[in-house]
Amino acid sequence: MTVLLELDGVSRVYGEGVPVYALRDVSLQVNAGDFLSIVGPSGSGKSTMLGLLGCLDLPTSGTIRIGGVDVGALDDASRSVLRGQSIGFVFQQFHLIPHLTALGNVETALLYRGLRAPERRRRAGEALAMVGLAARADHRPVQMSGGEQQRVAIARAIVTQPLIVLADEPTGALDSTNAANVLEIFQELQSPERAVVIVTHDLGVADSAARKVSMRDGQVVGDENLATAHA
Amino acid sequence: MNSVRELLGVAWSGLSARRIRTVLIMLGPIVGVAAMVGAVGLTESAKGDLKAKLAELGTNLVIATPGSSFGDQTPTFPEDVVERVHRIETVESAATTAEIAGVIALPSAGSEDHFAAFPVPVKAADLVLPSVLEVPVLSGRWLSQADLDGEARAVVLGSGLAYEYGYLDGEIRSIRLNDKDYGVIGVLGPVALDPALDNAVFVTQWAAEEDFGTDGLANKMYVRSAQGSTEDTADSIPTAVALGGPDEVTVEVPTDILEASAQADETLQQTALFAGLLALAVGGLGIANVMSISVIQRSAEIGIRRAVGHTRARVGSQFLLEALFIGLLGGLVGAALGVAVVYGISALAGWVVVIAYDRIPIWMSLALAVSVAAGLFPSVKAARLEPLETLRLG
Repeated sequence: MTVLLELDGVSRVYGEGVPVYALRDVSLQVNAGDFLSIVGPSGSGKSTMLGLLGCLDLPTSGTIRIGGVDVGALDDASRSVLRGQSIGFVFQQFHLIPHLTALGNVETALLYRGLRAPERRRRAGEALAMVGLAARADHRPVQMSGGEQQRVAIARAIVTQPLIVLADEPTGALDSTNAANVLEIFQELQSPERAVVIVTHDLGVADSAARKVSMRDGQVVGDENLATAHA
Repeated sequence: MNSVRELLGVAWSGLSARRIRTVLIMLGPIVGVAAMVGAVGLTESAKGDLKAKLAELGTNLVIATPGSSFGDQTPTFPEDVVERVHRIETVESAATTAEIAGVIALPSAGSEDHFAAFPVPVKAADLVLPSVLEVPVLSGRWLSQADLDGEARAVVLGSGLAYEYGYLDGEIRSIRLNDKDYGVIGVLGPVALDPALDNAVFVTQWAAEEDFGTDGLANKMYVRSAQGSTEDTADSIPTAVALGGPDEVTVEVPTDILEASAQADETLQQTALFAGLLALAVGGLGIANVMSISVIQRSAEIGIRRAVGHTRARVGSQFLLEALFIGLLGGLVGAALGVAVVYGISALAGWVVVIAYDRIPIWMSLALAVSVAAGLFPSVKAARLEPLETLRLG
């Protein structure tokens, strides 16, 4: 089994005077083919975990390896490149760039990679087709429903063919129909080479994953394989 | 190269997505450059006709008049004055006139009282006078060697006088100088650099001596200098004429006055230039201000760009390029606007358009520099934003 992402004794401490542990001595492996949810109440350290898994933040102690590369050893620019290559983000608030079309938003993830514009557009178009939005390519975010915007965000996350798709409450801003639709897409994103990680406080969403990591007070308190449990 | 193009595209799309905001912050560089182009253009164009006239007249004519040591009440030059000034290397040509006192010129019978009260100046003139003055003969011809040799009683009228006499082109006309009738053979064109000549009657040296009993010695000399050495020539004339005697020759370069009046109003120009600089500076503050707010408003965009792998440098460059576009476009539009204003107002005022095209790139660069400097702080701010903070996770 290929380990895509590895947290080893990771702590994240905020504050200078009195240290506040947001994450305390966490070790976790995300493997290729994982469909994993990280669940916990607010304040359990989910967001901190997401920032660290997404290479948006650095641990106070411990090591994080993405594809075998020690993230802490990289400078900011190299970390940006690694992030762009390895991780696709999906956020609760979609975070589409309002002045760009759906296609433009997806293309944003392909910038500065030495791709020519027609190739960028072709790949972005393919990603949009994969989430069923080929016909919406020229629409701006304001012209689309929440569910559609989230699907554009998913297209943006997968267009770079990342090792890990990292989703933060991806259904949090959606009604139940759209939420189900989005979760279905996440199911489809699963592949033997890729890991899908969903951070959520919604147990329903968490239970749709094959593996559930539970958190409380900055620590991992459970790591269940639901696939076998369901079976 | 590819990524530079991508960066340009990203910056451009950021600007074009907010057209009104972009146009508003572009007003700073636009107004600044337009004000500077307009200020210099309008003040120069207001004197454009004088500049054109100067170019036509040439600035190399020197007029010399004798000082009192050469004579008593009516000082004159020595007889060989023209030869003397020709010894100056930079002198190209020279001609003299001699004022003849006590002559009353009557264009027609019955006007004696008027012309006795307001006598018309009568001058003995060199045969080369028109060519030295570079003034055309409008009608007929100028005095010739044949007139001298043939002892002809011929006169040429100044253009103003010809008009006053009602002289018609080609008319056979005589005027009476004291008690002698003289035939009008031509009219000298207007002499812009010595308008007194326009109202004079010109006769030959022979007539001066024969009919009016003068020595015919010149009291005014016109000297054409080689281009570019007018001042040196003017300075040398007194010495050349006085030949070591006291320098009693007065020289003037008539175009000096014209040149001075053709100078644009510098105070006005500098005030307007200053106003333009002020507009640029205020515009720069506007750019810095609006872009800083924009960075905050667009923090989610910055966060997502960082999340998809854009480096800090790329994000910072994106905003800096937006500022650069603003300065570049603002400068271009401002320059075009300034030129249009100068053309428009000059057309209304009837001025000859003068535009400092050589200085426009300097002002445009200034607008560009101000805009980029103004965009520097917001760009650094954008680059430093932590994606984690802007994306509001979980």
